[in-house]
Amino acid sequence: MAFNILIADDSTTMRAVVKKTVEMAGVPVNEFYEAANGREALDILADSWIDVILSDINMPVMGGMELLRAVRSNKDYMNIPLVFITTESSEARMSEAKKYGVSGYIKKPFVPETIKSILYEVLEKAYDSKIDASHASEREENMDF
Amino acid sequence: MDAKIRQMINKTVAEVFETMFFTFLTPLAARPNEEEWGHDRPYIRASIGYSGPLVGEFHFYFPRRLARELTVNFLSTEAVEDRQILDTAAEVANMAVGSLLGKWDSEGECALGIPVSAMLEDFTPAEIVSESGLCVFNTGSGCLWVVYREG
Repeated sequence: MAFNILIADDSTTMRAVVKKTVEMAGVPVNEFYEAANGREALDILADSWIDVILSDINMPVMGGMELLRAVRSNKDYMNIPLVFITTESSEARMSEAKKYGVSGYIKKPFVPETIKSILYEVLEKAYDSKIDASHASEREENMDF
Repeated sequence: MDAKIRQMINKTVAEVFETMFFTFLTPLAARPNEEEWGHDRPYIRASIGYSGPLVGEFHFYFPRRLARELTVNFLSTEAVEDRQILDTAAEVANMAVGSLLGKWDSEGECALGIPVSAMLEDFTPAEIVSESGLCVFNTGSGCLWVVYREG
């Protein structure tokens, strides 16, 4: 399985570096999508199938925390893993992110190994839960009969 | 500037440079004289502020050749454009001050601003050399000047 990955960061160079790091980590990628803020990320989500979102927190127009809340409150996107890649590392900010359902947290500056380990962990977990969800829907369909 | 704060700034900025840009910084105890930086033009300034219970701002001044080298290291390509150099300078400021704020503001009550960067054709460090919150680093590609203003 190759993944569609959405990178949301207002820095074009940071988006390029995250892309390069993900590729170096050996994550199978079908396509990268890029957004300069949370609003653009939501527009991409409306038009494209996305498997995982890697987002900064501190962005103009719409920040990462607002994006996380919007994703988790939309039934079409709520199961998409969202990982923050950010300089904002206070315990309180991380607790807030966990409360809203962030899937992972990568602190800048980062080394490629950190992105690799967290991304693999998040994708494996999401893959398992998708299988469970399809089984659940099959069970529900069977019950209808 | 308080010695503990200076030490924290030195350590955090050096960590960001080493981890993300493969560039080693040496904090300078004494401010360098003009012979050491007089030929370094133009400069790039990247600025970022924060507000909340703590208020302050940081200004990073990079000789263009240093900012270019950071961008080349960051993107792993020699072909870099000025807009990428400016963007990288802003990202340096974002990462360094974001990391510092994570240590100073453990409750996460402060809001980090959006970094901005600009090319300064006529700037010389003589304009900031008397700042009380000045930290200077030797990088091997010119000096990095960091001005911290509290409040």
